[in-house]
Amino acid sequence: MSAARFVQPPRPAGSSTKRDRTAVRAATSLAPTLATAAAKLRRRFGARLLEEEESFGELTFVIAPGDWMRVLAFCKSAPDLGFDQLDCLMGDHLPERADTPFAVLAHLTSHTHAHRLRVKTFLPEGGSLPTVTGLWPSAGFDERETWEMFGVVFQGHPDLRRLLTAEDFEGFPLRKDFPLEGIVGGRVRTELRGKI
Amino acid sequence: MSDVIDSGTAQARDVDATPSDAPPRPTLEQLKERKARTRQRLETGGDIMTISMGPQHPSTHGVFQMVLDLDGEVIVDLRPEIGNLHRGVEKLCEHRTYHQIIPLTDRLDYNSAFAMNHGFCEAAEKLMGVEVPARARYIRTIAHELSRLANHILWLGVHIMDLGTQTFFVICFRDREYLLDLFEMLTGARLTHSFARIGGVAKDLPDGFEQRCRKVIEFLPKRIAEYERIVKHNRIYYKRAKDVGIFTSEDCYAWRVTGPTLRAAGVARDLRKDEPYAAYDEIDFEVAVEYNADVYDRFLVRMTEMRESCKIIRQCLDGLPDGPYVARDAAHSLPMKRDVLRDSAAMIQDFYQVFRGPQAPKGEVYRAVEVPKGEMGVYIRSEGGAKPARVRFTTPSFYHGQAMPALAVGEMVSDLVAIFASVDVVLGDSDK
Repeated sequence: MSAARFVQPPRPAGSSTKRDRTAVRAATSLAPTLATAAAKLRRRFGARLLEEEESFGELTFVIAPGDWMRVLAFCKSAPDLGFDQLDCLMGDHLPERADTPFAVLAHLTSHTHAHRLRVKTFLPEGGSLPTVTGLWPSAGFDERETWEMFGVVFQGHPDLRRLLTAEDFEGFPLRKDFPLEGIVGGRVRTELRGKI
Repeated sequence: MSDVIDSGTAQARDVDATPSDAPPRPTLEQLKERKARTRQRLETGGDIMTISMGPQHPSTHGVFQMVLDLDGEVIVDLRPEIGNLHRGVEKLCEHRTYHQIIPLTDRLDYNSAFAMNHGFCEAAEKLMGVEVPARARYIRTIAHELSRLANHILWLGVHIMDLGTQTFFVICFRDREYLLDLFEMLTGARLTHSFARIGGVAKDLPDGFEQRCRKVIEFLPKRIAEYERIVKHNRIYYKRAKDVGIFTSEDCYAWRVTGPTLRAAGVARDLRKDEPYAAYDEIDFEVAVEYNADVYDRFLVRMTEMRESCKIIRQCLDGLPDGPYVARDAAHSLPMKRDVLRDSAAMIQDFYQVFRGPQAPKGEVYRAVEVPKGEMGVYIRSEGGAKPARVRFTTPSFYHGQAMPALAVGEMVSDLVAIFASVDVVLGDSDK
């Protein structure tokens, strides 16, 4: 064990410990690396990116469920995008959208370029998506949670079981029609205890 | 370990150097090979025994269950099971106003409750466009770092207790008391503070807090040096922790393992620097980084972080600006409590905020902050009004528990307690 263990890596040029606060606050436009990444995504997928939204300094792309795997794999592997970490994969329920009430969102982070991106897709009742555990193993728990809370199936998931609720729980608790209190729509099937 | 005890106290006390009788340290490639080899053994079908560790095992720090497949003493497979502490926080959030959600976030990671409050408030402020006044930002930074100190001291005591020492746990708890007393003085509560508010904090610093806080901050680095004297060069700890639980930066990215574990793998990733919030961009501090990616380096990173936290708090107390401690934003923030009974506008604002809640615009935000255990992200989707339509807490322990197979397969079962503790999992945080 050498004496000088703590070696601070050199700080990249142009960044200082004290930043201009007003400049950070006023920066509503996207970071240049993210703008490059978005341009590259648009060039590669064109009209298959159904919607693009920029709000609160965050960029969102809406894609079709069929493109889910292709777009996310491109996000991970393309050098200008370099999204090496899946920050969070989550579901959402929007009952006002009659045909496609379920949303699945992936929040991506790049350690190389220090930017973030949100990719979103809408699904009908009973819809399914391919699993992305092959790209980011951390999606495993996220997809299990999304399945148990919303009923979105992830094809090819290695272990799609209930995660946070009991194995014999019925219903999808985070759907908007699931009540906050009471047992309506959700019950624990005790007769299955010991058989699962 | 018995050879260390038998080798005599004189030699055992000579602790600064690597023990000369120790076998040469395996390289990273060798360790990876060892892991791969033991993974293969599962397919070739050795004599596999399956046992369950937890949910009531003392080393799981809560109700975390690991189903282990063992070949002798080597772990060939591990299946983490969580959810025993699930309270449906995200569902509850959809039925409460933004102010009412803050107490729920306390219960996520109850060891560093303020950091959780703070993370949620940062996300809500981003959604509502609330500008936090300077004094509030500094008070938040102080409280955030106090919670980091309390969390790391508790972590250290529990981690060392897992490896077989009882006394050290009590030493750590003694010093944590000083921090909890500070929190009690500041917020009125010792563990679940609910101290952050949208646009600021709940109260100003009480009289005498600064003096008492300075005392603790002067005294803690000496304590940290004492911890290091006890633990850092301890042969037993060194042998239990060195080269155990290797988790490289690529593994960390793939499994979304963040915080001290990622920094122990040589990545200077710290959201306090990279995406600054509160007053961190006006404070001078260093990010702790180590390069060996093992249990021992995670310990070193946390020790350095505690010293840096003391530095940050000292700078905040020195440069504490005057002014309001909560934003003057009638649409989104509660007023200062001292104004409510003296100023009719403040009273109207208080009634409005309590009965109707803050009026958020339509939209969705994701904001991540660096809590003591790693990166916590908060996603909020709002359809307008006082209640969010969907909240998701991307809590670090959720992913740290999930990464246990990648961390522990190929290691010995006796090292599992050290590895599990080193990534710092709290079950309130992971089960939501």
